[in-house]
Amino acid sequence: MSGSLNIFVLVKQVPDQGSKAGLNPDGTIDRAKAKRMLNPFDRYALQAALHAKKCYGGRVTAISMGPPPAVEVLLETLEHGVDEAFLLSDRRLAASDTLATAYALFRTVSYVGKPDLVFCGLQTTDGDTAQVGPQLAERMGLPQITYCEDFSIENNKVHGRRIIEGGYQKVVSEMPLLVTVANSYHPLEYKSFRGAWKVQRLARNEEELKKFIHTIDLDIVKADPDRTGLKGSPTIVAATEKVGELGGSCKMHEGQSVETLVQSVIKESQLEQFFVA
Amino acid sequence: MTEQVEVDLSSFSPKGDVLVIAEHILGELQPVTLELLGAGRILSDKMERKLKCLVMGYNLGDIPQKLVEYGADEVYVADHEELEKYRTLPYRRVVCDFLETQSEPPHTCLLGSTTTGRDLAPRIAAHFDTGLTADCTELDIGPYEHKSKVDPTKIGLYPNCLYAIRPSFGESLKARILGPWKNPQMATTRPGVMTPLKPDSKRKGKIEKITVNLKPEDHRLVVVETVREIAKGVKLTEADVIVAGGYGLGTADGFDVLKDLAATFENSALGASRKVVDLGWIPYQHQVGQTGKTVRPKLYIACGISGAIQHRVGMSKSGTIIAINKDPDSPIFKFAHHGIVGDIYQIIPEMIKQFKEIQSGRGVKEVVGSH
Repeated sequence: MSGSLNIFVLVKQVPDQGSKAGLNPDGTIDRAKAKRMLNPFDRYALQAALHAKKCYGGRVTAISMGPPPAVEVLLETLEHGVDEAFLLSDRRLAASDTLATAYALFRTVSYVGKPDLVFCGLQTTDGDTAQVGPQLAERMGLPQITYCEDFSIENNKVHGRRIIEGGYQKVVSEMPLLVTVANSYHPLEYKSFRGAWKVQRLARNEEELKKFIHTIDLDIVKADPDRTGLKGSPTIVAATEKVGELGGSCKMHEGQSVETLVQSVIKESQLEQFFVA
Repeated sequence: MTEQVEVDLSSFSPKGDVLVIAEHILGELQPVTLELLGAGRILSDKMERKLKCLVMGYNLGDIPQKLVEYGADEVYVADHEELEKYRTLPYRRVVCDFLETQSEPPHTCLLGSTTTGRDLAPRIAAHFDTGLTADCTELDIGPYEHKSKVDPTKIGLYPNCLYAIRPSFGESLKARILGPWKNPQMATTRPGVMTPLKPDSKRKGKIEKITVNLKPEDHRLVVVETVREIAKGVKLTEADVIVAGGYGLGTADGFDVLKDLAATFENSALGASRKVVDLGWIPYQHQVGQTGKTVRPKLYIACGISGAIQHRVGMSKSGTIIAINKDPDSPIFKFAHHGIVGDIYQIIPEMIKQFKEIQSGRGVKEVVGSH
């Protein structure tokens, strides 16, 4: 490799859907009460970024957007070996849709530097759209590999493998490039000893912490506030409605023993027709 | 205030047609395109607009004609060697150029929620600064009155809005997402959800070639190889029987048990909930639901799956749904046809045992005789 890579990885803090904390009775989420976690898809993006650094040299910068507690996920990235992190945090970002989010991230990325590679998770578990990555690539004018499940870098070009329906594509791209990483990529490795030690040290020293995690706002990244938040979002959630109860005619099978229970299901659901001949 | 042009009501035009962007892999038209034409036909009829379709590729043969037969009034064809295989930048160029040459932008623009549609649609939306709703399960046209004063330029009554409806975060809600301030109003829909029209070979439509002007920077990424793994096992979307596992399995090894169960059925495949795919218990290709595949097998056996709406939208149209879960309050029991409350690791081995007995002809009498 000629020179070292400037690698960015974008991460998001999401509510932990596995925990019941913060779940309102109507099914909506109370984000203030919900347990928080690093978006599971971003773990693959983080692994990809660290892998690129390990194999081809360079520096990994993590970027996130969200309220102040999102610092937690940036600390987590430092534990895994990320070199530096930026958190874009600003009240004016509230209610941003994907387009407004991509714009704010575009301004942030431009402020932080000129990446060779930008890694994002395929999608988030709270929005489920998979849109922010490609929208950011569009703002940056970059090629993209979405649904990437493996890659290598040879002669300054990225050789990637991306999922398509019923198969895959092998592609080769110039850098700079944006990659959204699928969850069929390698899982995130354990925290590095050095990283964990560093974060422990930083946790005791706020001044020192600020050298590694920079909290910035829309003014610092020179973003137009009218293009973010509710105002900058072309879509709104106009209404939510309860999904009607389906059927409600589930035949519950009960039995004295597992054996009779299974017999009852086999008979009443006419399972024989599906068996291997 | 330069950015306000796009939300100025005086520039808002409720005109425009409905545009579907067609998708094919190596000349094989994807079913989602036909489904989108079916959905788009309903929307365009409702507004008394035309249904247009843009198709990109190389040597497209009878594909444009087929698009007319499935409901398009006008088909625009970008036929170019460099468009043979899907690539983000060249396809993005063609779509953007096409939209820019239209005297009136389309009212609605629809793509499939496939690896292609989800790659391309956000680029188009970002380029035109317009709204895009992902993975819709329903589409409709209707009025909307915006009253919020956060942005006074948006206040007003909008007669024809695209209602993009999708399951939202949480258990049992669906959200209606709107963006009538800027055309095209964009959405992607999940494969297998919308219903295609019956093809009509007598349907007449306009087929027009459009010019393709790619730029050098559109070739920064090249496709070296496209591999389709059709031979590798039964495809989830084509299986007659799906045995699916969720977090209730407790461990990744649980899928070994499900594999044994699946093996007792003809033309079967393994499915999974997103939670366990996120945990790495089974590859993404097996995921059923909102962000995975939509399936409608004859038989769906859900093991340790709670049945959150994100999963339900991907499998609720299955012929027979059997649910096994130890929590009697699981939402899955609200829409399964047959439910068993109990321990998967007791029930499934017993199922396999009884199935094998039936298959081998032994024990048939006992099963019948027990009633």
